[in-house]
Amino acid sequence: MKVKNLSFSYHQNPFIENLNIEFKENQITTIIGSNGSGKSTLLMLLSRIYKPQTGFIEINQQNIQNYKIKEFAQKVAVVHQKNQINGDQDVKTIVGYGRLPYLHYSQKLSQEDYEIIDWALEVTNLKEYKNRTLKSLSGGQQQRVWIAMALAQKTPYLLLDEPTTYLDIRYQLELLRLLKEINQKYKITIIMVLHDINQAIQYSDNIIAIKKGRIIVEGKSNEVITSEVIREIYGIDLKMTQLSKQPYVFTV
Amino acid sequence: MKTIKKHAHLFIVSLIILLGIVFFIAINTGTIKVSFIQLLKGLFIEYNKDVASVYQIRFPRVIVIMLVGCALALSGLLFQVVLKNPLADPGIIGISAGAQLVSILVGIFLPEFYTVKPLLTCLGGFLTFILIYSLSWKSGLKTTRIILVGVAIHYTLTAIISFIESISSSISSSVGSVILYTWNDVQLLIVYILPILIILCFLTKACDLLGLEDRTLLSLGINVNFYRFILSLLAVLLCSISVSISGILSFVGLLIPHLSRLFVGNKHCYLIPTSGLLGALILLIADTLGRVIIAPYEITPAILMAVIGGPLFIILLKRSSMHES
Repeated sequence: MKVKNLSFSYHQNPFIENLNIEFKENQITTIIGSNGSGKSTLLMLLSRIYKPQTGFIEINQQNIQNYKIKEFAQKVAVVHQKNQINGDQDVKTIVGYGRLPYLHYSQKLSQEDYEIIDWALEVTNLKEYKNRTLKSLSGGQQQRVWIAMALAQKTPYLLLDEPTTYLDIRYQLELLRLLKEINQKYKITIIMVLHDINQAIQYSDNIIAIKKGRIIVEGKSNEVITSEVIREIYGIDLKMTQLSKQPYVFTV
Repeated sequence: MKTIKKHAHLFIVSLIILLGIVFFIAINTGTIKVSFIQLLKGLFIEYNKDVASVYQIRFPRVIVIMLVGCALALSGLLFQVVLKNPLADPGIIGISAGAQLVSILVGIFLPEFYTVKPLLTCLGGFLTFILIYSLSWKSGLKTTRIILVGVAIHYTLTAIISFIESISSSISSSVGSVILYTWNDVQLLIVYILPILIILCFLTKACDLLGLEDRTLLSLGINVNFYRFILSLLAVLLCSISVSISGILSFVGLLIPHLSRLFVGNKHCYLIPTSGLLGALILLIADTLGRVIIAPYEITPAILMAVIGGPLFIILLKRSSMHES
């Protein structure tokens, strides 16, 4: 997945300017940045929710705007920040929605679809909850349901916008470990936005730090983060140390 | 409530039976009475003076009321789905008023266009809808804006309607007038409503899907705006057609879908038929009671529905929230 000369603006104010990124295949890339830096906007552009004013994003040498809406959904699955559902669908139905990119409107799920749904439930540890309604589950479990739905799309790319927000620390780690496992076992390229710098370092291969829609640094996650970079991105001084051969930022 | 949710299809069947019973009671309410056997004989075998007059006068009224109740309930339900707002109702957001305005104007200036009047009324409803939508679209769908803009448009149009009515006193669509429907009205309603009902049977899945966030749907490869356009179109049609035949009947579109949701939950394959049937049933009961209570005078079904439906709705809402917590 490549981003070329990408620019995007809200109401004539340039927000992202002339961005060029090449996301490494089969790896986890985390985008970090302060509030309003454009990281979520970038993810929205990558997931084709927003349309760039100039420049483009390509997958397999093809501009993503040229994919049909269903074709694109077979390439890129997205877990959005706040997912809600207005209804009392059960978990297996919602995960089943992940098969929609492959179905016509009135087409029923096939045996193969059901196997994929079962697989997605298995990977996300949701088998025992598959008949429960989404609303009866905890926040961490609900987030896993949305990830399972994205997995059921069977895409080479998985995008996540701040997947750990609203979760307590246990669920945050559970989720990040799950993503790592998904990436390693099934070779799915993961691009996500995270707030926690240490989690970004620990759980991703590459980090892209952006500020005001521009890239400050990009590279291997255990190399790019330094005190200077943090001052540049967030405008504050934080102490850093090494912890089991990884950089560690004191965020207090 | 929980047992009803589990056996939603049985609930729908019992609604159909109940509707049949109320239908028979309704056509038998008034000065002329016919037994069930007499009715069947009179309709299909031999001429019977009583049955003939019941057939000419009460049948159309009862059928129109049922169809209008069904259409308004479904219209309200669809608006709630499309606009993702529980307060959406064609009456509240001004669609009915837009349709009514056109309907009155056609009545005054183009009375010879009786058969296409529903079509023109639909156009009025649809223009109002587009107006509301474009005024409340500000980088995305803000549902509170839609309701606010809709309410404002509703009041503006209602004021224009009262103004027109006051200067042309010959036209009266006001509350309390004796309602007379003919078989022509029934025909018109059926021609317009039946195809919509059939299309709706295929759109229950789309309604379910619209419960998800728009961007989630986009990421699933669903053309959300297309679904929304089709469902809005149907909702506007259902509401406008009812308005062109029977004027504005508020509250049905708001009350019935919520009532149905309390009974059968949120699955649209149950919710759509339940709303349609319940709309027909409750409006018919209200209309029949309205003919009896202070006979020979009549109370319009809208008033009775509001008087009985409002408190009933609040009681049910309280009971269901008690079960949830």
